[in-house]
Amino acid sequence: MELKTTGLTKKFGSKIAVNHLNITLSNGVYGLLGANGAGKTTLIRLLCSLQAPTSGKIVLNGKDIIALDETYRHLLGYLPQHFRCYPDFTAFDFLLYVSALKGLSEKNAKKRASALLEAVGLSAESRHKIKTFSGGMKQRLGVAQAMLNNPHILILDEPTAGLDPKERIRFRNLISAFAQNRIVILSTHIVSDVECIAEEIMMMKSGAIVRRGNPQEIPSEIDGQVWECTVPTAHAKRYAAAFHTSNLRNTDRGETVLRILSDHPPMENAVCVPPNLEDLYLFYFKGDPQSEKAHSI
Amino acid sequence: MKKLIQFELRKLCAARLTQAAFLTLLLLSALLGFSTYQNMYAFDGNSREGTGRAAVEIDQSIAENYGGLLTDEKVRRMMEAFQPTQDLHGMHAAYLYQNALQSALFCNFSDSNGNWNGLSVSDVFGTEEIQIGYTYGWLKTSQNMVKLLILSSFAAAMITAPIFSGEYEGVDQIILTSRYGKTKCSTAKVIAGSFTALFLTTVVSAVNLIYAFVLYGSSGLGCSILFAPADFSEAYIPFNLTCGTLLQYQILLAFTGTLGITGITFALSAVCKNPMLSLAASAAVYFFPVMLPVPETSPLFKFLTLLPIYHAQFVSLMSIGQCSGSVLYAQLAVPAALLLMGAGIFISRRVFAKHQVS
Repeated sequence: MELKTTGLTKKFGSKIAVNHLNITLSNGVYGLLGANGAGKTTLIRLLCSLQAPTSGKIVLNGKDIIALDETYRHLLGYLPQHFRCYPDFTAFDFLLYVSALKGLSEKNAKKRASALLEAVGLSAESRHKIKTFSGGMKQRLGVAQAMLNNPHILILDEPTAGLDPKERIRFRNLISAFAQNRIVILSTHIVSDVECIAEEIMMMKSGAIVRRGNPQEIPSEIDGQVWECTVPTAHAKRYAAAFHTSNLRNTDRGETVLRILSDHPPMENAVCVPPNLEDLYLFYFKGDPQSEKAHSI
Repeated sequence: MKKLIQFELRKLCAARLTQAAFLTLLLLSALLGFSTYQNMYAFDGNSREGTGRAAVEIDQSIAENYGGLLTDEKVRRMMEAFQPTQDLHGMHAAYLYQNALQSALFCNFSDSNGNWNGLSVSDVFGTEEIQIGYTYGWLKTSQNMVKLLILSSFAAAMITAPIFSGEYEGVDQIILTSRYGKTKCSTAKVIAGSFTALFLTTVVSAVNLIYAFVLYGSSGLGCSILFAPADFSEAYIPFNLTCGTLLQYQILLAFTGTLGITGITFALSAVCKNPMLSLAASAAVYFFPVMLPVPETSPLFKFLTLLPIYHAQFVSLMSIGQCSGSVLYAQLAVPAALLLMGAGIFISRRVFAKHQVS
């Protein structure tokens, strides 16, 4: 299975949300990373046929998804960024409703709904009304509904929003187990969500994919640009503001270890360390720090 | 598809607005029917007088004495029986209500003092055969039903207003990315919405008819609406229909009105981005025609009466002359309603399927 975009562009007035995008996705888990407003959600909506492109097209195995219509949607599972459901429905009934929309037989729908509620840890609450659910529980229900039809293409927009650490781990395991021979796209700005399970990371900025590759390999792009520096805790805040700092860690000696992105040693005691995905993320999405001041410190 | 329809029906029926609409209409039906019944008054011209149940019994016993075909001989007998026994103090006899039959008689055959005006049955009604009897209860029921059916059609619009626009508050993304979200789901919504709206109309009509049957019996259903008490003499339907036929038309037009406004609401619900907006737009479209300063003599009025609110109001539509032969103009309400429903279904399905999630 191959999902391909050709010259995909989406404009809202004069703002370009997705800019002439050419990507090919085959079976595997893809992590779509990007800051807020990078165009991730628009790209996902285009891939889900929820929005029509301004130009360009999306094809699945060579066929335009607009022309495939129902056939394409039959293969699709989608969790929107802001998942909404009917508050007066129970979780089980909501899944049966979505199953009916997805064309599952009643028997199969009940079986799948029960299995997925179990998988997302909601089986005990399956007969509770959704209005009694917490944000995390609703999000888990959202993940379950997306997987009801055993989709060949699973697209999840900010799937871990509102989940506690234990649920995040459960989610990662669920997706890893599910992803065999499927295209799974996880859109997020939380790097750790995709670092463990994505086979490929796509970094999106200003409507374009700026970097794409294996999560273990692509951080090497910034080898020699990540430093750990130990400074007195009292001055840590000032240093953090002056550099692109990906992490601060206090020690019990009244010192703070800063993880800094810089193409040269930011201070004398700086130690060069191997970069990780978060460093790369910061590298691409760093703002405009007071780097000029850095030299004077 | 069956399952989808069931879910859509469930969504509609679970809404507080739907439940409130049903309850309000049932309560109003009971209140209106009861207050009408209680406020009835009759005096037989001699000794019996009463209100409520007693009035209906007096009216019905008078009607039994003169029931059947209206003849000149019956007119004379009734004029003698209902002759005013008191000084009218300048009032017109036709407006001095004693009982239902007296009121109908004086409207057509009395001068201002309550004496025979010299007109024969054929002078007043031409060649029409006028069956007379106790029609007042059924005509009052019909009058009450006008109010209730206008509200019922509006309630149908209220209930169906969120059917598409309600989904735009977030669930549209799930629906429109599912296999049948752009096809069968819209059809299920249309079927469920239409069914609920028509069911509401059926319940309101049935409750009122059963209530009237219990209170007034079936005896007046075969009588002409032309020989009706003063309340129905001005600007009423000028055709020699029986009460039963009148009610059949009224119910038919209630259903066409409901279908019409439901069709309009479907389209507006798909176009508007939230349920409140679609409800406001539906209400505006529904009530706007009666606010237009178009006289009944204008050709435009004939067109306006084909819009849903005039179906529920029904008297204006029924008052317009025959198209050809014995076909009433009101029968055009059926194709008009089907047209509105068809257009509503077409627009709503198309707009919903093409909806761009923002």
